[in-house]
Amino acid sequence: MINLLTGVNSTASALNAERIRMEVVSQNIANANVSNYQDGQPYQRQVVRFETMLNAQAGQSLTGLAPETTQVARVEKDARPPRLIYDPDNPFSDANGCVAVPNVNIHEEMVDLITASRAFEANLAVVKSARNLALQTLAIGKRS
Amino acid sequence: MDALSLFRMVRPDAALSAYLPAGIQLPPSKTLAPKDLEQLQPAAAPLPSPVARPAETSFADTLSRLVDEVGHKQQAGAAAVNGLLSGQNVPLHQAVIAMEEASVSFQLMVEVRNKLLESYQELMRMQV
Repeated sequence: MINLLTGVNSTASALNAERIRMEVVSQNIANANVSNYQDGQPYQRQVVRFETMLNAQAGQSLTGLAPETTQVARVEKDARPPRLIYDPDNPFSDANGCVAVPNVNIHEEMVDLITASRAFEANLAVVKSARNLALQTLAIGKRS
Repeated sequence: MDALSLFRMVRPDAALSAYLPAGIQLPPSKTLAPKDLEQLQPAAAPLPSPVARPAETSFADTLSRLVDEVGHKQQAGAAAVNGLLSGQNVPLHQAVIAMEEASVSFQLMVEVRNKLLESYQELMRMQV
């Protein structure tokens, strides 16, 4: 198996992981106001946890080490309690007239979104640079 | 017979060392004695091969393996794009990376072919 784009194995896995993080962030933002998610409980914010996987089968890198790839270890629920808002007209309000609103902070989610998209861009830059390097190396043999 | 000894048949060592930077010694050349020339005649017994060759993998085999690999990469790229467009949950970046890999390996193949053709034409231009 010829490996022309060096380092792309790790980068592709990181791109996948960042994509999943973006999906989770979008899910958090979409459900930011859902107070009846499952059996009367409000939606709980989800967070992704990444881990490194030593990928011995995915072909040898130039350094002789097996490429390490990133993957999503698990998607956890944020344990912070939901906020309570006084809204007695809401059908989901409790005896005191309070509605439990998800523990999603929209500003926090935007920061997470920016982090994910910047990390995605960084990995895209790695792919682009690996491709340019390969093409420029192939251009060694060109006359003029 | 390697290229250097072919070159020596054309130029004696004194002329050859004029092209070399100072301080570099050439290995002593084997002069072709007339009896050596007789050995080169096709009528004589075939020359024992100077180096014991390892198991033969011809260059043509290597080349056709390269072509096969490039074909596989292109098929993988097309399959990834098909999977993306038919909604089989193939991520976008994976399809693009597969296409890029196919394109770069194709470039490599074209480059190898250009080099081969160039050296062939160089040989054909050689004066005899």
